[in-house]
Amino acid sequence: MNTNTNLPNNDSRDIAAEHIAKLLTRAAQRLDDNTVAALRRARNVALERQSQSKPVFVLSAGHGMRWLMPHSAHQWVATIILLVAILFGGLSYWQHAHENALARLDTAILIDDLPLEVFVD
Amino acid sequence: MRNSTITAFLLLCLIGTPAGAATTPWRSLPPVQQEALAPLSQQWDSLPEQQQHRLLKTAKRYPNLSPEQKKRFRDRLEAWSKLTPEQRNAAREKYRAFSKVPAEKREQVKQMIRQDQEVKTLQFASGVPAAASGRD
Repeated sequence: MNTNTNLPNNDSRDIAAEHIAKLLTRAAQRLDDNTVAALRRARNVALERQSQSKPVFVLSAGHGMRWLMPHSAHQWVATIILLVAILFGGLSYWQHAHENALARLDTAILIDDLPLEVFVD
Repeated sequence: MRNSTITAFLLLCLIGTPAGAATTPWRSLPPVQQEALAPLSQQWDSLPEQQQHRLLKTAKRYPNLSPEQKKRFRDRLEAWSKLTPEQRNAAREKYRAFSKVPAEKREQVKQMIRQDQEVKTLQFASGVPAAASGRD
């Protein structure tokens, strides 16, 4: 029961990787068939899940800002519509502000104590 | 299907622009706006939509003006509306430039203009042509 007798020393940091692999292989050989089959099934399920979550892995691995780019035609259309809407809104706001400024200026000219002829050629 | 959606969206954008709006009839204006724009009542319905829109915005401050300012506004409105867009832009530029002059100098210029106008008025009343006196 004393497993430490097979180890070079008691410090876990000094355990060689090759030695661990041998231990695991030996332990696996002692497993019964049912346990091996269950482990194999678990491994396959884990592999399937890993492939499904690949995009998240790519994102978390820091592969730039590619995830922000549209990936399908629908996403492209939605992005273009959004950009057009933003552009249109910005232009409308600018035009509104410009017209208000002109109207304020016109009123100021019309009510100034200097006659209109001073400003008009 | 996708193309029709985009076309519909673009059409909505175009319809929503101010250029697509209709003119405002004189009788549909509220009394405050009718009072401010009274000098233009005869030609209002024939004015282009953009000019109507701008005049309505200009008249927005009218209720807050003093009686003297209201009178000036009404007296000058017709002449202002008859100017070409280029003349109006030039007048705005002049007014902007004049507004940047320090208040003290601005007052001096105003005083000179007033004196000049008084002289012209007197010359007109006495029958002396202004051009003749300008050569002296």
